[in-house]
Amino acid sequence: MRSEAELALLLPQQEAATGKGPREPAAPWRRWKYPLISGTTVTLFVLVWQLSGSLNWVDPLLLPPPSEILRTALELLASGYRQTPLWEHFLTSTARALVAFVVAIVSGVPLGLGMGLSPTLGAALNPFVQFLRPLPKIALIPLVIVWFGIGEGAKFFLIFISSFLSIVVGAAAAVLGVSQARRRAAQTLGANRRQLFLYVVLPNALPELFTSVRLSIGIGWTSLIAAEMVAASSGLGWMVINAGSYLRTDVVLLGIVLLGLTGYFFDWSLVHLQRRFAPWAGMDS
Amino acid sequence: MSLPPRISLQRVCKQFAGPTSAALDGDVLRDVSFVLSAGEFVCLLGASGCGKSTILNLVAGFDQADRGEVLLDGRPIHAPGPERGMVFQQPTLFPWLSVRDNVTFGPRMSGQTAQQYLPDAERYLRLVGLQDFAEHFPWQLSGGMRQRAALARAWLPNPEILLMDEPFGALDAQTRLAMQELLTTIWQTIQTTILFVTHDIDEALFLADRVLIMSARPGRIREELQVPFERPRSLEDLVADPRYGQLKRNILHVVREEAAKSLVGEPA
Ligand SMILES: Nc1ncnc2c1ncn2[C@@H]1O[C@H](COP(=O)(O)OP(=O)(O)OP(=O)(O)O)[C@@H](O)[C@H]1O
Ligand SMILES: [Mg+2]
Repeated sequence: MRSEAELALLLPQQEAATGKGPREPAAPWRRWKYPLISGTTVTLFVLVWQLSGSLNWVDPLLLPPPSEILRTALELLASGYRQTPLWEHFLTSTARALVAFVVAIVSGVPLGLGMGLSPTLGAALNPFVQFLRPLPKIALIPLVIVWFGIGEGAKFFLIFISSFLSIVVGAAAAVLGVSQARRRAAQTLGANRRQLFLYVVLPNALPELFTSVRLSIGIGWTSLIAAEMVAASSGLGWMVINAGSYLRTDVVLLGIVLLGLTGYFFDWSLVHLQRRFAPWAGMDS
Repeated sequence: MSLPPRISLQRVCKQFAGPTSAALDGDVLRDVSFVLSAGEFVCLLGASGCGKSTILNLVAGFDQADRGEVLLDGRPIHAPGPERGMVFQQPTLFPWLSVRDNVTFGPRMSGQTAQQYLPDAERYLRLVGLQDFAEHFPWQLSGGMRQRAALARAWLPNPEILLMDEPFGALDAQTRLAMQELLTTIWQTIQTTILFVTHDIDEALFLADRVLIMSARPGRIREELQVPFERPRSLEDLVADPRYGQLKRNILHVVREEAAKSLVGEPA
């Protein structure tokens, strides 16, 4: 009989790539290729937009060019819009949204996980969740005003409820995503129910949880405008609506650009968190 | 056999729901009976779809028989347990764990400390040739490397019974041979009982004490034969042995008959 050491030598001796991390960095050109393409199209777009104003292709009142928006931005930074500085509008909105997101995640993820794990809880709550989730949240505004008044509570609630519901649904689905084979493998290795949940179901659900949080935050950010339509006097959403009624299209567009960039930034941060904490997303094994 | 059976199947029948309705799809297993004695190495040989994985699932406790009994030490099997380890047909590593953490999953679930399991874990990683890949993640390994990691993971808790579902199917001939030799060595060192599914006759003859040949669907144990070769075995000696050719011919004959039946279709 061969010794164990001999047996091990019979195997093809692969060597791990030494000195390199598990993932090889791509060549510089390949790494920058797609960001460069995106950068080029954006630059071209902004250029054409600018020309449309400078060459008077379009009435600047209908579509103020980027230079105009930049000037408005500087002006609002210095003197504020309706007595409130621009950064305060910005911070008010992001703070409202962030508080609502955090509360929605902290409460929605466990509730969704519970609904996914317990068919009873799922059956009890699903009708409400499925009814409320596709409901346009603007329809709730009159009720919300009656219930919460016109203070911060109403705005918080509208953003919260939109993201909360979609987080719950996403988390419930994520729990069910664990394959039978993985579950079985863990069971033959002696995992009990609690361990199965902690060390298999939960990590297995993590990539999908991130995805549903991303989606929900997108939805929550969208309902910011609805929330700030509720008798606010500050915030980016309010600024856009208010400026619209005074035909200040430059302020409207500035607000849109800021809303868009902030939403983009939220999503980008989550993508990076996902890469950091769930790098196996989409990988088979 | 003088030893008491560890696993015993008595007239086991199993059906599954059909593709479109809850109507049953006919028997997958019909009156399957066999025993595994302590320390035995038994191969289950049969054509694709004859119910080999279904039998393993019953013994593992993932699924229940419709009729008949599946017993472990005389007691019915109802649920999976760590005394019955399993290597699946596809590697089922956890992608969020490194190879080392995958391999040590079993002992960690049973609450062992790193000092208790790490020396053995490193030894198994070395034996399956993955010592340099302990920090890698499953998706960074080839299919065969993943299956080797899954083997180490199943071996590490020293299960009393090891259920193996075509574990070497994804390996190249050379690695496969090395893994077969390794498996017999480990089987003897950790004194486990193995039920090994394969459709490769040479593999069955090289590994097993006893070979169970299954019929085409509905699966039954069609033939049971003792493999007479003394251990340790080497493939070179085996193929030179005249009994080897004879055994292989017998098995091929049965397998051919069953294959023909499964192509014609099951008689009503
Ligand atoms: N969960 C299931 N639901 C319905 N039918 C099933 C199920 N599992 C297995 N079967 C059926 O049972 C039969 C046996 O399947 P099984 O997986 O045991 O085959 P096998 O012998 O392991 O084949 P292979 O060598 O291809 O892995 C097949 O005809 C399959 O269609
Ligand atoms: Mg199978």
